[in-house]
Amino acid sequence: MSRLAKWPPRYWLVVLVVLVFFGLPTQVTSFQSLEWAEVLIFAIVILGLNLLVGYNGQLSLGHGAFMAIGAYTTAILVHRYNVNYLATIPIAGLLTGLVGFFLGIPALRLSPLYLALATFALAVITPSLIKRPVGLTQGTDGIEILPQQPPDWASSAFTSVTGGPPMSSDQWLYYVVFFIAVILFWIAWNIVRRRPGRAFMAIRDGEVAAAAFGVNIAGYKTLAFGLSAFYAGVAGSLYALATGFVHPDEFPVSLSLGLLVGAVIGGLGSIPGPLLGGIFTFWLPILSGQFVGGQSWIPDQVAAVFKNAGPAVTYGALLILIMIFAPNGVVGLILSAYARLRSRLRGAGERTTGQLPPDPQTV
Amino acid sequence: MSTLLELENVRAGYGQTRVLHGVSMSIADGDVVALLGANGAGKTTTLRAITGGVRWDGSITFGGRSLNGASTEAIVRMGIAHVPEGRGILTELTVEENLRLGAYLRRDGDAVAKDYDRVFEYFPILRERKKLSASTLSGGEQQMLALARALLMRPRLLLLDEPSLGLAPLVVRAIFDIIRTVNQSDHVAVLLVEQNARIALELSSSAYVLEVGRVAVAGDSTKLQNEESVRRSYLGY
Amino acid sequence: MTEFAQQVISGLASGGIYASLALALVLIYNAMGLVNFAQGEMAMLATFLAYTLIGRGMSYWIALPITIVVAFAGGLVIQRVIIRPVERAPVLTLVIVTLGLATLVNGLAGFLYGYIPRDFPSPFSVQTVDILGAAASYRDLGVIGVSAVVLVLIYLLLQRTTLGLAMRAAAHHPEASRLLGVRVSWMLALGWGLASAAGAVSGIMVAPILLLEPNMMQSVIIYAFAAAVLGGIESPLGAVIGGLIVGVTVNLAGAYVPGVGGDLQLAVAFLIIIAVLVVRPNGLLGRRAARRA
Repeated sequence: MSRLAKWPPRYWLVVLVVLVFFGLPTQVTSFQSLEWAEVLIFAIVILGLNLLVGYNGQLSLGHGAFMAIGAYTTAILVHRYNVNYLATIPIAGLLTGLVGFFLGIPALRLSPLYLALATFALAVITPSLIKRPVGLTQGTDGIEILPQQPPDWASSAFTSVTGGPPMSSDQWLYYVVFFIAVILFWIAWNIVRRRPGRAFMAIRDGEVAAAAFGVNIAGYKTLAFGLSAFYAGVAGSLYALATGFVHPDEFPVSLSLGLLVGAVIGGLGSIPGPLLGGIFTFWLPILSGQFVGGQSWIPDQVAAVFKNAGPAVTYGALLILIMIFAPNGVVGLILSAYARLRSRLRGAGERTTGQLPPDPQTV
Repeated sequence: MSTLLELENVRAGYGQTRVLHGVSMSIADGDVVALLGANGAGKTTTLRAITGGVRWDGSITFGGRSLNGASTEAIVRMGIAHVPEGRGILTELTVEENLRLGAYLRRDGDAVAKDYDRVFEYFPILRERKKLSASTLSGGEQQMLALARALLMRPRLLLLDEPSLGLAPLVVRAIFDIIRTVNQSDHVAVLLVEQNARIALELSSSAYVLEVGRVAVAGDSTKLQNEESVRRSYLGY
Repeated sequence: MTEFAQQVISGLASGGIYASLALALVLIYNAMGLVNFAQGEMAMLATFLAYTLIGRGMSYWIALPITIVVAFAGGLVIQRVIIRPVERAPVLTLVIVTLGLATLVNGLAGFLYGYIPRDFPSPFSVQTVDILGAAASYRDLGVIGVSAVVLVLIYLLLQRTTLGLAMRAAAHHPEASRLLGVRVSWMLALGWGLASAAGAVSGIMVAPILLLEPNMMQSVIIYAFAAAVLGGIESPLGAVIGGLIVGVTVNLAGAYVPGVGGDLQLAVAFLIIIAVLVVRPNGLLGRRAARRA
């Protein structure tokens, strides 16, 4: 019990957040639970993306493609081969992780700008690549997945708490996503704290120095890619289950872009940042579309163009502004504000090295 | 001889760490002055302060003009050439391109051509390696290139940060002879930061010894050389 | 056989375009160390400016230099306002900022002009000339020719003038250059202006062929990147050869490999990138040293 008392305040904040998300479906409608499930799904991808970009310094504009691999793996396994949907989740993750790992090999040879270009190319060709093998992916028809009914034990537990209607498939899915998200966040937190995380960051902060210290650069960089893709694959799989329908047009370039923007806004190189990023990436297109659509003074053609161009302008401006003014995102701003508050409360300490200059000597 | 460079109570540092705690010195036109001291005493920081590479407080004037707030490029254009520790060789460029950049600020074409000849006379190896990438030069050759480049700038004041570092004694002798020659023929003032106190005192007319960011000893070089107590405590020999 | 030759020739023609852009990548980015993900988008926006001017009745030959000057100024301003604040940050930050710029510019173009492709005039006629029994249009040859001239001029500026020397020095060794009196900030801004102006030229040349719309440059940049990687990122000659090979390969794949239609040709380019990086990372003519692209 005394160990609990030693927990720093942020641990309690995490517990609070987890409890809030745990109880969420009891307080909101079934459809809203689905929306928040998608928020958590984006948070998972962004967490993976952050491991690669924020902690390891490798830029990827192709995570929409990884999500697509995960989504289609689940969709095909469930729809064609009747595999149990829960079992497809780790399969999708591992398959995507493997692809990411192997793509990490050529990525080793590319400097940041060119890596961005290469992953951008991947994002651009993804919809076309999906459409091709029509036999497998059903091309532009897409694949439909039937909603999954909650098991009895879950449903009865849920209704005993809410005293209301039986648990819907959306609410059940929310809890599936929620628990997977908690586990994945916990894993990421541990990775970052231990040797892999330190190796990632050493590579990010100076490859030459890291190599001099014996860090296996190639190994850790490809590992980061694979890990990051694994997260995206799991998220993609959950995404397919949540939306119930996969289609090539669900994975355009703007998805990859939105994920990166979410990672940047939340805070590169932080673990809680991706949660904020997920909230942002999910809600921005919806809210801005609703806002513009709701304004009667904006003509329809303009509104249509805004749907296409608006997110791009917003994403672009946000990326620029954040990297210039708040490179560590919202989490960074909160942490620095907190640090300043603490130092002001404690009183300014000794600022210099502590060394007193010697008495002046006369010659 | 008029005062060319004057530092008054200069304090400087990096971020939260203060390195210089009030350094004062002056250099007259055409003078050779040595700046000595142990590692970490603040010698390099002093040079950096002069050319605006580090934030400083106090007063620094060059030829009567205050250097407060001036950018590095502007200070250099006033007539100060600074060969930094590490030599500042542009390794992506060739030897010749490095030299051309030495003459970047010059407008007197004919005199520049003559200076090229002179510099190649001092350092014939540079003519040999003209077209090669500067990264192929050895440490001593890079030092020669850095010095040649500085000479091409025809400065009024030459700041040299540890020119002898990592060089063989013969090479050091040659370089210091050239510095002496240039000082006498071109009337170029030199502020010489050195750990090799003996050779620095031989070349200079006066010297300042820094210790933990302050001037501990200052005076005429010959006197300091002969003053055994000073030599033992501050100069290590 | 003539159909095959025709495909090869038209592959060479589009390859020439990729080659010129790849060459720009290699020359501008390597010589000046310029990191700009938005190069293509800025070129596209400049082309839209020319389009607007011509649409208002201005002659092509007046709109062209005006656009180039505005593009130059725009590049300069962007460097001072957006890039300078993050100059000393890690390269990753710079890439993200220019990525943001690319997205912003693309969105802006979409917002101002919509996404319907538009015709853009070309000073060269669409007539074809006979080469080895196949037809190549004057327009394609004109694009290659103009690009070649622009690139030669840029090369001469960077390698043979003092200004170019100062720009290269400022890009690769900012601190040491300051100590030589080089006004580093202005040199970097100048570099951006130059790259932006060159981009405007390539956009204006390419628009008649690809049709002007906000996403016009996206595929071309990827093809150019593939060309540069294939040729060896540091080699100008490699970029040219790489461009030609990419152009021919992609064209032949589109014509003869079943299932590879227009949109999957880009995937072929991606495949080339991956294959080169895995099998021969330094490309065809890249330096022997194991430096990263």
